[in-house]
Amino acid sequence: MIHRGIEFNTPVHESADVCIVGSGCGGGASAKVLAAAGRKVILLEEGGYYTAADFDGTEQTAYKNLYQQRAGQATGDLSVTVLQGRCVGGSSTVNWTTTIRTPDFVLRAWQRDHGVTGVTTEDLDPYFERIEHYLNVHAEPEENHNPNNRIILDGARRLGYRASANGRNTKGCVKAGSCGMGCPYDAKLSVNVTYIPDAVRSGATVFADCRAEKIEVHGQIKRVRGVILDPETRRPRTEVSIEAPVVIVSGSAIHSPVLLKNSHLANSSKLVGQHLTFHLTTAVLGIFDSIIYPGGGIPQSAMCDEFLNKNNDDGGFWIEAVPVHPTLAALGLPGFGARHHELMRMFPNLGATIVLVKETDSFGRVMVNAQGRPNIAYSIGKKDLAYLKEAIKVAAEIQFAAGARRVMTLHARQTEFRSPADIDSSLAAADWGKNQLSLYSAHPLGTCRMGARKETAVLDSHCQAHDVKGLFVIDGSFTPTSLGVNPQLTILAVAEKSAEWLAENFATIARG
Amino acid sequence: MNADPIPVSSLEYGKVGDAPPAISPSRRRFLKNTVLGLAVLSASKLFPRTLVRGLAPDVIANQLRFFSEHEYMIVRVVTERIVGPTPRPAEGQHTIDVAQRADEFLSLADPEIQEQFHQLLSVFNGVVFAFLFDFRFSSFLDMNPEDQDSYLEDWMTSPLTFRRQVFVALKRLSLSMYYTEEQSWTEIGYTGLFLPWERP
Repeated sequence: MIHRGIEFNTPVHESADVCIVGSGCGGGASAKVLAAAGRKVILLEEGGYYTAADFDGTEQTAYKNLYQQRAGQATGDLSVTVLQGRCVGGSSTVNWTTTIRTPDFVLRAWQRDHGVTGVTTEDLDPYFERIEHYLNVHAEPEENHNPNNRIILDGARRLGYRASANGRNTKGCVKAGSCGMGCPYDAKLSVNVTYIPDAVRSGATVFADCRAEKIEVHGQIKRVRGVILDPETRRPRTEVSIEAPVVIVSGSAIHSPVLLKNSHLANSSKLVGQHLTFHLTTAVLGIFDSIIYPGGGIPQSAMCDEFLNKNNDDGGFWIEAVPVHPTLAALGLPGFGARHHELMRMFPNLGATIVLVKETDSFGRVMVNAQGRPNIAYSIGKKDLAYLKEAIKVAAEIQFAAGARRVMTLHARQTEFRSPADIDSSLAAADWGKNQLSLYSAHPLGTCRMGARKETAVLDSHCQAHDVKGLFVIDGSFTPTSLGVNPQLTILAVAEKSAEWLAENFATIARG
Repeated sequence: MNADPIPVSSLEYGKVGDAPPAISPSRRRFLKNTVLGLAVLSASKLFPRTLVRGLAPDVIANQLRFFSEHEYMIVRVVTERIVGPTPRPAEGQHTIDVAQRADEFLSLADPEIQEQFHQLLSVFNGVVFAFLFDFRFSSFLDMNPEDQDSYLEDWMTSPLTFRRQVFVALKRLSLSMYYTEEQSWTEIGYTGLFLPWERP
């Protein structure tokens, strides 16, 4: 059963074996596994419950209904926009379907540097295979790549860089380009149309429009308190409390640490909210003589992974295509006024490529503001900034190699290259301070990291809090380092594995 | 009409029975955490507001839900400068009133955001601020269009982080209010989902 907020005017009090906060990859996968194991599962989701019929393919509707803070979530200084889903299915409902296994060098670093056990490539491969089958993860054939993705494939290959089709979790894709606004065709096998319905079929109950605000621990029992929201106004309608011996927090790397901090739980290490990574992202735009139309077709089907960990320093960057629709284009394009409008009029001829940096020395954290809500801070490190500059340069070269007439960055002060020979000098002259280059994150991770020791990690290798037995954090928060790739498959695999362990050991864990 | 992506974060909060929240420390920093910012914020309240150039049609003034008439005029001019020249509406279409969409959007925002936006507009249009930082002797509203563009450019490229933040907030608000309006798509060649040659 999936309930919407509009159904409730009076307080709701329920009990369960497991209460899960958040219905994205971590919460959805956990709910499916635990409900299938016979556990009574109640899942609370702050966002609304929407189906294919609600997805009209416009940014206006999507941002209002499906995104955290209407796609305006940002660091406190507005320097990095943090895009996250806020709806049943979480970010999987609005992501661009890229599904990639965790790189082996990342998992080895988790084991080597953080003492994480049971999360090696060998441990996760069976989960990857099972999930890829369940979600029909596949690479698109050559003829299915749209012109925006062909820029990467053709440009990178001409330069001798490795580029290929990436995995996508779709079935019956009609190539509309609506992935980021919810799939009106149910062709994207996101959590809202896979794990959640399966969990519900096994008996799980979902409360949409329900924001968890505090977790209380009373001996063996935990109580999650929150409010049920009006779906339209997002104002509280009534209160909710769920009692359960086991609570799984799956609210994302931005919101899970806030719930823990507001609850004064699991933070003896003082690391809750620390070690935030963004997979820091910016775009490079090419202007072509031919029509690219970056908003149509399969949004993200190709990648260039040549530069990830190329120097064996756990850093580097990744290059993908980015589907662009009018608002996203307008916010990213440099400047304002007549020049900006002139660039907007080139929309059909724009090729848009993103670069994503796997951080190694940047500093991010999630704090709690006076209203008990996230306050995000982030500063890019020297090494990561160097990689960001190199990534922009490589992406610009790829754009030129694919036929771009000119190429620009997202600097506030227009930074444009007329030929590959311009790139170095223009980048050297560009401004790199906060709010001088549009930066984004769609992959915030790592604010409740796993590790062997409670002094240096929030969670153990099963995603259970070192401090509180029966309290789990299963979402992007658990990563000890930046992933370097799109995170949904990593989160799903670790979630399934942790939930299986919890199901097998439930009686012991529930006793506290 | 709900126009969406927003200029600043932390919307939609509040608990049952809670009073409207105070401004968060992090957001105060947005405008206030410099000595100069504090001085300007304080000083801006001592000066009478500059004359409005009388552009607001009465019908709009009566419909405002969030902005004062003066603020509406600031936002109207800011959004015109940021969005840039737009084509005359086709027959049967209306001019997109970005400021009115912003007014409606902000009327639904959290009280914290609303207060910050009032402050932001006061600072941005304040003659004191224009003088202190750019040695200009008039408020934004009283400048000619070329000077307004130059003034916006100063905010966009300022060495002061908080001035760039203000510009980012104004740019996000203006462009998101404009380009979420379907009518704006024609002029940029956006025809909706699907590649144009694959559209069913």
